[in-house]
Amino acid sequence: MALFASCGEALVLGLASGPACIAACGPVLVPSLLAERAGLRPHVRYLSAFLAARLLGYMLFAVVAWELGALASMLPAPRLLMMGAVYVLLAGVLLWYAYSTRSSCSSSCADSKLVQIGENRNRGVAGAAALGLLTGLNLCPPFIAAGIRAAQLGSMAAALLFFVAFFLGTSLWFVPFISLGCIARNQAVLTVARMAMALIALYYLSMGIAMLLGKKSYGY
Amino acid sequence: MATEARILPFARPAPRGILWSLFLTLPIFLWSLLMMGFRPGAKFDPVSSIAAILTALFMTVLFFMMMRTGSTYRWRRIFFVSLGVLFPIGFIYNLVLARGTMGIPIEEMIAGRTPFCFMPIPMLILPAAFTKTVAFPGSIASTSHGIAAMVGLWLALTLVMGKGWCSYACFFGGIEEGVAAIPPRAKIRKLDPRLRFVPWAVLLAMVLLSLALFEPAYCMWLCPFKAVTEYVAARNLLGLVQNVIFILLFAGLVIVLPFLTKKRTQCSWFCPFGAFQSIFNKFSIFEMKIDQSRCHPCLLCQNACPNLSLSKESIARGETLLSCMKCGACVDACPRHAMVWHIKGTQIAWKPERARLMFLYGAWALAIMFGGTIIAGSLATILHFIV
Repeated sequence: MALFASCGEALVLGLASGPACIAACGPVLVPSLLAERAGLRPHVRYLSAFLAARLLGYMLFAVVAWELGALASMLPAPRLLMMGAVYVLLAGVLLWYAYSTRSSCSSSCADSKLVQIGENRNRGVAGAAALGLLTGLNLCPPFIAAGIRAAQLGSMAAALLFFVAFFLGTSLWFVPFISLGCIARNQAVLTVARMAMALIALYYLSMGIAMLLGKKSYGY
Repeated sequence: MATEARILPFARPAPRGILWSLFLTLPIFLWSLLMMGFRPGAKFDPVSSIAAILTALFMTVLFFMMMRTGSTYRWRRIFFVSLGVLFPIGFIYNLVLARGTMGIPIEEMIAGRTPFCFMPIPMLILPAAFTKTVAFPGSIASTSHGIAAMVGLWLALTLVMGKGWCSYACFFGGIEEGVAAIPPRAKIRKLDPRLRFVPWAVLLAMVLLSLALFEPAYCMWLCPFKAVTEYVAARNLLGLVQNVIFILLFAGLVIVLPFLTKKRTQCSWFCPFGAFQSIFNKFSIFEMKIDQSRCHPCLLCQNACPNLSLSKESIARGETLLSCMKCGACVDACPRHAMVWHIKGTQIAWKPERARLMFLYGAWALAIMFGGTIIAGSLATILHFIV
């Protein structure tokens, strides 16, 4: 009964904090989805890989959270280090993604009138998985709330279940992202998406380096 | 020889008579007086009165010249560059007066004592929709109603004028337009057309980051105009880095590149607000069109456009790109009068002067309301120092 209650609590927590989750993942998800081919199917595939990897990130965090009990990540210094590392890795994957999108376009656009942007399926799935895993480890406020609650549960299995339910609750909010597949793709959309990815990567990189150096985000 | 003959200019319409031009200018003169505060019961100190009168006359004379000569761009540019030069003077003076420094410390931001700017408007929308909270900690009055009024006013004007806002109201664009006017010829002429997409990428990135981090990301890290308005009161290395970024962007995009290219490079290649404004060109009833029966693509319009809003493809389609700022440079540059002001829903080249007039009344009223009052305030500041 207690297990059901905690799962229900996690589901409600996930549903309630879903907008904060999509806000946190938006800078990563939106431009990378826009760099994909148009159509609902490629977007469903991309989002599935992203969410599956995000679930894996949650699970990893749940294991660590339960094992450490006191949630080492909540202490200011390790938390800053972990977020810094995640931001730097996110920046690296985004830059790679932006670069590889250019490669796939130049090979497909050069010799055919049937321009198929983002044809490389492996790149799409691998990139989505890498981004999903890293955003799964990103310490956004709802995630921290879930982590604290999971650490208070009686067993690792309960903590894992808690995170699965939390994941399901938040994931519902990601479904509308599939509609980005309805936006027609042309060279302009692809170029804007790639440039935005590079810019967001630079932003994350600068924040990540600052955090790794133990600095606050701003110099005010 | 035959090609040369084809691009010979059509006869330019005769200038308007002085009396008719004066009559057309009269509403603008009255509007100028109203906006400068000349109403029954208003009290002025002598210096502010002089500044207000000078500004009202300045704006009226420029409009008169637009009516008299039929050209738009060069007269608008005089106003716009004056605004660009004078705005920082008045702004910095007021900042120093109110705060004692140009630097903003975080306490001032949290307290909402930051002057509101229109630039973060696109970045406010998503955070406001998700959380019903404005992410920008500033105000133009003592309460957040100031921000609501500013956004509402901007929206109403933008729906009518589209991206005309960037040519008649933005107090930042004048600096680079002034710098671009200095060299006689562009030193760099071959410009990568893909750079036109950068403002859209900056817009997308900044809107998403502002929602994720709940802060106006552009103002925090990327606004070139922090260099001439209010910088970060740097308290550590990061603050220094932020200020260095602002200064480098300003130097590159507002000074060096406009000088080398004779274009408004910050507006064309970077400004996310400009990209956002472009969307409203879809709704605005005013636009520039090319009368293709007259056009023999000499590309003079493309060269004259300060915002890279014309390409060979768009000229072939008889229209400008979405980023057109309606400054009138292309119309003035066209020797065959093929480029015309146009009202959507009418035939191309159907009374283009009437379309121009209708647009200019709205645009100049806006210019006086925003730019004119800023110019008057800055002039008063300078006069206070001199007198």
